[in-house]
Amino acid sequence: MPEAGKGYGLLNAVVFILLEITAVVLLGSTRGLQDIWLNRATHRVLASMWSGSEHVRHYFSLERENRELADENLSLAIHLREQGQLQLAMQYGGVSDTTAGRFRYIPATIVKASRNSLHNYIILNKGRADGVVPQSGIVTNNGVAGIVTAVDEHFCYGLTLMNPRMSVSARIGHTGLVAPVSWNGGRSDRMRMRDIPLHREVSPGDTVWTSGFSSVFPPDIPLGTTGKTHVVDGSVNEVDVELFLDFGALRFVTIVECLDRPAIEKLEKEAGQ
Amino acid sequence: MRTAFFWTYLALVAAQVILGNFLNLSPYVVLCFLPAMILCLPARMSQPVVMVTAFLTGLAVDFTTHGILGLTASALVLTAFCRNFIISLVFGDEVIARRENVSVRKQGLPKVALGILLCSAVFFAAYVWIDAAGTRSFGFNFLRTLLSTLLGTLVSIPVAGLLSEEEGSIWK
Repeated sequence: MPEAGKGYGLLNAVVFILLEITAVVLLGSTRGLQDIWLNRATHRVLASMWSGSEHVRHYFSLERENRELADENLSLAIHLREQGQLQLAMQYGGVSDTTAGRFRYIPATIVKASRNSLHNYIILNKGRADGVVPQSGIVTNNGVAGIVTAVDEHFCYGLTLMNPRMSVSARIGHTGLVAPVSWNGGRSDRMRMRDIPLHREVSPGDTVWTSGFSSVFPPDIPLGTTGKTHVVDGSVNEVDVELFLDFGALRFVTIVECLDRPAIEKLEKEAGQ
Repeated sequence: MRTAFFWTYLALVAAQVILGNFLNLSPYVVLCFLPAMILCLPARMSQPVVMVTAFLTGLAVDFTTHGILGLTASALVLTAFCRNFIISLVFGDEVIARRENVSVRKQGLPKVALGILLCSAVFFAAYVWIDAAGTRSFGFNFLRTLLSTLLGTLVSIPVAGLLSEEEGSIWK
């Protein structure tokens, strides 16, 4: 009996497909409506295939696009900082001097970063050849990431904010209390603002910014928001700061160099003597 | 008797052509008994031959009725492809194993009517969908398929009787 077995089923399928294709081809060639319909179906299939390949291509070009976005982000951040300083100066009757002009920004990508130890570090893909110098800040739009401590020809090494040895001068609000912020070795999304006098009350939810009272970080970089207040040794307050920055998702950063730092340090040295 | 079946088959194709050309009841109804003719093709024909026969029949009807080559042919080939499955479903596997022809006399009218209904449903679903070419609403297509299937089944029962009578005579 020839109708048994897979071969017969295959033959049936082949004959069926061939006849259907012939019918559809005839249909498309004799009637415009069906022709359009078939064309549309073909285009739909092609479009989905092209869209798929475009997605794959897009996926592999994400690296370049991310770099471009990081560059654009950087220029926008500089512009925004200039505008912010100008506005503040005008608001408080100061001279409209742009602080952003005193800093040099270098976009960089993180090559390696540690997050799970007590003394965390970061290695970036920019070095001496790119103009990076030690004691430059490492920032993002969401806050401070760390400080460059050593520079190689093409790479630089820095300590992240998740390091008890590092502290950043911060301000509550644009014109509020200034105090150092540092990590206490606990959660990676939380810092402590230290040495706050007992008589100063800090309400939770206020934004904490860099103060600019250092020769490392520019002012008004948002760091996070204030949280609970703790009294330490009955003498000072410490306030939790919930960071905006997610160290786990960090990839692109900006190295900030204060161009006035040599002059400031020289002045400090002279004053000290 | 095979010759008689052949001539009856040709006569029915001619009748279908005449129906298609001169009897247009409504846009919602396509009067066609070709699925029943495919169902009643002799069991000795293998499925590929049935599909080729369906294709040629459909092409002949397309050519002489509305000139849209491939419309009836594609729907009828699909019906022929599903034929064995419908026969097993309605009449049982033994009908295929024993190579019995579909006949009102042997299988009874209700089963044959059900077989024709299923064949017609497959045929009209494909026919209406291809004919609409994405230009008509689902509701219209559904109603057209439903009405055509019901009316086509009614018209097909005597056709099936006629074909099974001719082919059934070789078993006498």
